Amino acid sequence: MLSVLIWIPILSAIVIGFLPGKAIPASRIRLVCLTVAGIVLLWNLFILLKFDISNPGMQFTEYLPWNETLGLSYQLGVDGLSILMLILNSLLTWIAIYSTDKETERPRLFYSLILFVSGGVAGAFLAENLLLFFLFYELELIPFYLLISIWGGEKRSYAGIKFLIYTAVSGALILATFLGMVFLTGSTSFAFDAISTQTLSAGLQFVLLMGIILGFGIKIPLVPFHTWLPDAYVEASAPIAILLGGVLAKLGTYGLLRFGLGMFPDAWSVVAPNLAIWGAISAIYGSVIAIAQKDIKRMVAYSSIGHMGYVLLASASSTALALVGAVAQMFSHGLILAILFHLVGVIEAKVGTRELEKLNGLMSPIRGLPLISALLVLSGMASAGIPGLTGFVAEFIVFQGSFSAFPLPTLLCVASSGLTAVYFVILLNRTCFGKLDSNSAYYPKVLWSEKIPALVLAVLIIFLGIQPTWLVRWSEPTTTAMVATITPRETTIVSQVVLK
Amino acid sequence: MDFANLASQLNTGTILPEGIVIITLLGVLIVDLILGRTSSRWIAYLAIAGLLAATVALYFQWDTTNPISFTGSFNGDDLSIVFRGIIALSAAVTILMSIRYIEQSGTALAEFIAILLSATLGGMFLSGASELVMIFISLETLSISSYLLTGYTKRDPRSNEAALKYLLIGASSTAVFLYGVSLLYGLSGGQTELGAIANGIANANAGQSLGLVIALVFVIAGIGFKISAAPFHQWTPDVYEGAPTPVIAFLSVGSKAAGFALAIRLLTTAFPLVAEEWKFVFTALAVLSMILGNVVALAQTSMKRMLAYSSIAQAGFVMIGMIAGTQAGYASMIFYLLVYLFMNLCGFTCIILFSLRTGTDQIAEYSGLYQKDPLLTLGLSISLLSLGGIPPLAGFFGKIYLFWAGWQAGLYWLVLLGLVTSVVSIYYYIRVVKMMVVKEPQEMSDVVKNYPEVRWDLPGLRPLQVGLVMTLIATTIAGVLSNPLFTLANNSISHTPMLEATLVKTTQVSAIAPEQSEGL
Repeated sequence: MLSVLIWIPILSAIVIGFLPGKAIPASRIRLVCLTVAGIVLLWNLFILLKFDISNPGMQFTEYLPWNETLGLSYQLGVDGLSILMLILNSLLTWIAIYSTDKETERPRLFYSLILFVSGGVAGAFLAENLLLFFLFYELELIPFYLLISIWGGEKRSYAGIKFLIYTAVSGALILATFLGMVFLTGSTSFAFDAISTQTLSAGLQFVLLMGIILGFGIKIPLVPFHTWLPDAYVEASAPIAILLGGVLAKLGTYGLLRFGLGMFPDAWSVVAPNLAIWGAISAIYGSVIAIAQKDIKRMVAYSSIGHMGYVLLASASSTALALVGAVAQMFSHGLILAILFHLVGVIEAKVGTRELEKLNGLMSPIRGLPLISALLVLSGMASAGIPGLTGFVAEFIVFQGSFSAFPLPTLLCVASSGLTAVYFVILLNRTCFGKLDSNSAYYPKVLWSEKIPALVLAVLIIFLGIQPTWLVRWSEPTTTAMVATITPRETTIVSQVVLK
Repeated sequence: MDFANLASQLNTGTILPEGIVIITLLGVLIVDLILGRTSSRWIAYLAIAGLLAATVALYFQWDTTNPISFTGSFNGDDLSIVFRGIIALSAAVTILMSIRYIEQSGTALAEFIAILLSATLGGMFLSGASELVMIFISLETLSISSYLLTGYTKRDPRSNEAALKYLLIGASSTAVFLYGVSLLYGLSGGQTELGAIANGIANANAGQSLGLVIALVFVIAGIGFKISAAPFHQWTPDVYEGAPTPVIAFLSVGSKAAGFALAIRLLTTAFPLVAEEWKFVFTALAVLSMILGNVVALAQTSMKRMLAYSSIAQAGFVMIGMIAGTQAGYASMIFYLLVYLFMNLCGFTCIILFSLRTGTDQIAEYSGLYQKDPLLTLGLSISLLSLGGIPPLAGFFGKIYLFWAGWQAGLYWLVLLGLVTSVVSIYYYIRVVKMMVVKEPQEMSDVVKNYPEVRWDLPGLRPLQVGLVMTLIATTIAGVLSNPLFTLANNSISHTPMLEATLVKTTQVSAIAPEQSEGL
């Protein structure tokens, strides 16, 4: 059942890539890809319907032996942590394909790479074997590199290489840690359930956990390792930015939760205070830098750094509520970032600039882009944490859950949430409000087909903001079970450290 | 000694594969002598058939009960079978590549194939040689044939220079190797068979004496030259740049495999007393090779030079398995050499194809190739990405196994260095992919603008295409469907009695590991 999610996209990517005949128009390939992505999305929703919410463990498991020498097996499963990420992946893939330009150059390569990436990401979320996870994780590397550096902005070549090197380093760190985890615990297989790190000494657990945090911290990204992000997000075209920010960043936080918190609960609770502060710094840093930006895409890119900081704070607190909040924040950040990047892409396509200095008065009902501006206002509010929208729900759960554990970092994050409102007001003020320049303002009309993705996302954002149970119910049992593995040991470990 | 006893000691059946290669070699020469140039249409296929027949003969010798032949001079155990197979296959693919290339250079094909087959012969004998004189003779057969192949396109001054350089460095390293071997002969009190040497040295209480260490270092210098490990690598970039491209395809795979076969056999059998020392020396070589090969490759502008440095780096990766000294370590070496065969030959086939059509090797000239020649772009991209260790290609699984084996043996720093340098290597491999795939049509190089129409029906291009497609498919799927290759690599080690005594037991290592971990 789960294999479908991986293999339909990948196989259709291969078919599209190698299809004979040169002159297939881009629009037809796009249509085929939309169908494939739609089927995957429907299948994913079907799995969501079948998903047993009360079961905290892995569901729909699949197992095939693969390579015993390496301890690599084809082992899939889905639980509360990953189910929402899967949905996010297939939804955003569909939206990204939908929002591509109909006249893309080299369409076959473009669409097959997008489908390939989508299958790979689904594989990483589903994998129940460390090596299999790593395989799917590294599978993203080259397709994304090509997607950025072929169909990007002016500095795409630099941005692509930077992305490639950072991600490759992250992969190397993660692989080293995985090898260490499996070998030091004396396990013969890389399967998740075969590894128990409890037997390791505290120092060793700490070293391995640092490998995990650094490796995934590059991907999330956390503050000192984030410098690839503005370049990659800004230089990538809008659909690719949606995939990069919406899906790929989630791979980092998912990895942190699954392998950091899930496999080293003891060491995690020791480093948690530092992580919380780190998350708060990340959040503040992202917001402050975003205020200084003159380019709306860069602003959105830095807002992503800020919002991922909340996820780190919540994972660090690791109370049952905070973890639910972390998953909810990952999901809603995916939705909000996707709609923002889509709208920014539309504005750039119609107006021809992303500069704050040049944009003005897009709210104007006749000659401006009224609906796009309205949606931009809505999504800016969602990002800044205004009640009634999904961003607020997620952030509130995060803050509520983290306050009891780490009050000061939580307050800092609340402050950063306020700063988010500041730079989004700046953004909205400069772009949507004011007067149109009557000499240059002859913008092409926004087609209905270009509004649909944003409308779909906006409806989802509002719906989940009003009815948040649909956001949190999936992950509750799993995260509660994860917390249950931590709490009893927390006191003992802390006391040991104190005694030392 | 009666005849039956003598026959059983000679056990000539083990060298049947080499016998087939010799007959093919003679056949090629005689046919060329009688028919002249007209025979060149099919003579290459004769040679390939011979090499494949030799591989089939190897298959039937798998798990032979009596591997020792020629009174201890040759050992046909499973380890040697795998290496002989790698060498024979690499020669077969090299011939596929060279048909058009050699014809176009205006030289004779039959002579080329004859020299190539004798190099193959040298490599195959070297894989199983277990006696000092036999080792030396097969090593020199391989070397002298390599020198001749390097300078084969003798109207090209670069080819001449490369041959001279290769000969000078090769001859001196052989002399050093021979000196080390003669020391071994003396230290062991007059033994030439490898096992007997180990016993002789142990009995003479010469273990870890200065003489033994000197002999070891001299022998390693000779081996390091063949596997182009830094600091014995200096010939590699010049030879790769100057020599005909099919030749370096063979040198980078066949010759390197022969060097590793020699390394395993000689070091584990003759030097068990100084195992720590040679592992230390190899650690130094591996560190140097990985760093130097990967870092210097970043700055290359010629494709062949870039692949030269990359092959130095790949030798460094393979050495990790050798240093580990466990069963998994040796098996991972063999697995990596197997997949290296596919990916490197695939890469070289593409380079030959490109230079046949355009006459250049510069990396910058590849830009915009995707429009004119998609198959070539795909082949070169896949093989380079596989060399860089990108999943799900064969090289990824090869590297994972090497690193996993290294980690199991406690070589943490070496594995970390390997990981870091792999990241570096991705950069220079992707640079070529970027040239071919990413560049816009208006950024196309002049050479690609004037790219000839892609035709496969010219003489000698069809085999090139066959070779390209086969190695490409192997590179793509040998990783995902790697179980048979893994089984082959593992069995070849576990069925080799020679290695059993010297294997570091994994259990011992894991018993030590917790103590180390507490030290952290």
